[in-house]
Amino acid sequence: MAATTGERKRVTTARRKIQWAPYLFLLVPLALYAMWIIFPTFFSFYLSLTNWDGIAPIPGLDHLSFNNYARLFGLGGQTADRDFVVSFGNNIKWMLVFLTVPTTMGLGLAMIFNTDIRGARWFKISFYAPLILSFVVIGTIWMWIYEPRAGILNSVIVGVSQTLSQIFPFITPLERGPGWLADRNLALWAILGAAVWRQVGYVMILYLAGLKNLDPSLIEAARVDGANGFQMFRKVIFPLLGPITTVVLVISVIDSLRSFDLVQVMTPLGGASNVLANFMYIEAFNNYQFGYGATIAVTLLSLSLIIIIPYLYRTAKTELEY
Amino acid sequence: MNKLFTRRAAFVFALVIMIALVGSVVAQDEPIIRYASYASDPGAREADEALVAQWTAAHPDQPLEHNITDHEAFKQAIRTYLVADPSLDVLTWFAGNRMAFFVDRGLAADLTPLFEREGWNDVYAPGFIALATQDEAQYFVPTSYYWWAMYFRTSIMEANGLTAPATWDELLSTCDTLNAAGIVPITIGTQAPWTAAAWFDFLNMRINGPEFHINLMRLQESYTDPRVADVFTYWRQLYEHNCFLPDSAAYDWQGGLDFMNRGEAAMYLMGGFITDSVPEEIQSDYDFAMFPVINPDVPIGIDAPTDGYFMSVNAPNPEGAYDFLAFLGSQESQQFAADELGRLPTRTDVDTSNFTEAQQKGIALVQSADYVAQFYDRDTTPEMAEAGLNAFAEFIADPMGADVAALLESLEADRVRIAAEIEAAG
Repeated sequence: MAATTGERKRVTTARRKIQWAPYLFLLVPLALYAMWIIFPTFFSFYLSLTNWDGIAPIPGLDHLSFNNYARLFGLGGQTADRDFVVSFGNNIKWMLVFLTVPTTMGLGLAMIFNTDIRGARWFKISFYAPLILSFVVIGTIWMWIYEPRAGILNSVIVGVSQTLSQIFPFITPLERGPGWLADRNLALWAILGAAVWRQVGYVMILYLAGLKNLDPSLIEAARVDGANGFQMFRKVIFPLLGPITTVVLVISVIDSLRSFDLVQVMTPLGGASNVLANFMYIEAFNNYQFGYGATIAVTLLSLSLIIIIPYLYRTAKTELEY
Repeated sequence: MNKLFTRRAAFVFALVIMIALVGSVVAQDEPIIRYASYASDPGAREADEALVAQWTAAHPDQPLEHNITDHEAFKQAIRTYLVADPSLDVLTWFAGNRMAFFVDRGLAADLTPLFEREGWNDVYAPGFIALATQDEAQYFVPTSYYWWAMYFRTSIMEANGLTAPATWDELLSTCDTLNAAGIVPITIGTQAPWTAAAWFDFLNMRINGPEFHINLMRLQESYTDPRVADVFTYWRQLYEHNCFLPDSAAYDWQGGLDFMNRGEAAMYLMGGFITDSVPEEIQSDYDFAMFPVINPDVPIGIDAPTDGYFMSVNAPNPEGAYDFLAFLGSQESQQFAADELGRLPTRTDVDTSNFTEAQQKGIALVQSADYVAQFYDRDTTPEMAEAGLNAFAEFIADPMGADVAALLESLEADRVRIAAEIEAAG
């Protein structure tokens, strides 16, 4: 009895002693994290209330105002910043495309390549390959593809239209193809084409991993029950992939909100194809308007949090149940 | 034990190296001159490096650290360079509003003593001294300038029985003739829309006169003034006559030039640096002329941007910076840059007798103008320039369909806000 109490005591003291060690180890990374992530985040909030130009001393507390927010959202009788409206709209378009196109295509490809078709490994690698390229490389490659006169896309379009016109006289051959990146109405969609090309492989890999982890006995049971291919997918496989789908959707949303690189490379001074991150960058670094840039950054962060917090909350809650 | 010893040895070894590295950085009190430049185009880079080599050969006791950054990246990085302490010593930059921006924020060193020491007030052309001066002190060493003009391929023009258009009607009919011959009349690359700003500058100066133009640049005239709308009416006529390269936003300025180099396009409104990117063997086929006259009653204005150098206010080596600036602004250096690059000198004592025909013509062009402007993004504030360039890009993306009135209203809103901010900042 006495020995047990002694042991328990020892255990408690040991536990208490151990409790300090992780914090001690965490101290350095936490300090760095606070210094490089937490502080700048909050400082952005502060800057968003100033008209700091990135050079002059940072305005003091007596110079704070919501002018930047009023200008951005068009409060107090102003019209909302046109560039903001365009960029925000583009982020929404980006998100809608990312939530639908690469997700379905990625899932479809995963379903195909999860079977034993010939060359599946090779196809998987080819679809995954764009992911190892940097965005700058992807942007540059697609700029060549989209080049209006000599680019492969327009060469094909013009060539096909000319061949068709020879066969069917009622088709007038095209002199030249669309301007793609040069056309303000097409630029965003052209960039999205490149973005989707990359994203499909990513989604495919996530779903392939999910498919590999499915319990074969459930599939077997469904097969014994006489489910056909589509029923199997619709009633068994897709529901089982639920957690993966959540991850894919969250990643798609996050990726579409943080899109920057491709737009920056393919239409450096975009305008019509800008997303919020590019708009922020141009205002802060091209226009010497760090205050206004910070306002856009805060807005972008808030938008991301609206989407991410429910997800984090859900994840944390499910984790606690274990 | 042995293992422990090796580990300790490795640790001590690493420590020694670290201390040595830190020590070498700290002990670097040798007076280095740090010089940052944006001369990243092939020709300009060569000349810049040659100047540095000349300095190093002549001043072995004053070593120089030279670093060249891409043009567009430099424009963004310079603010970080300037606010750092210690900063860099000498930097390349643009005259006009871009320089004033740093002077206003106290980031450029007062170079008045240098101008006096070197006697520059007597040998620099007065217009350039004025350009270097702000609040009665000199902050900028203007060392060269170049002209903007209508460049054309002589062979293409001659083959079609054309000469450089001198009036608006001639310009439009030139477009028609060239189009009929299957040649793109005017090439332009508007991926970065400053090339379009040149069109705005010249059209505005030719239609409304340079005085209105420069007041607009100074945010003293309204963008909703009907005179600004006129500029777009004329601009649109050029698109009605299919004067410009289609899909120009897909090309940067050099991409636009490729069409001309290949003989597929005839003309380009461009700065004198265009020849830096023209192959040697066809350089002689390139000629230029003054932008056509539109309203003969207004004075002739021209864009002739001035480049030069300045010293950071936080320069760690001000003595070295002074000496190096004195070298860059010297007669020898300007002579070298003029001979090598074909830029025009700002000093009056540079020997122009050996200048090429193009240089002589360029000088005559600038001297024949009644007013010399810098350029849209150098004459107006950086923020207004960005708004204006975006509006031009939007216009040329769809010149027939663009809602010019709405574009101009948006620009006017920007102008009013920016002017108020400048006023508030005092």
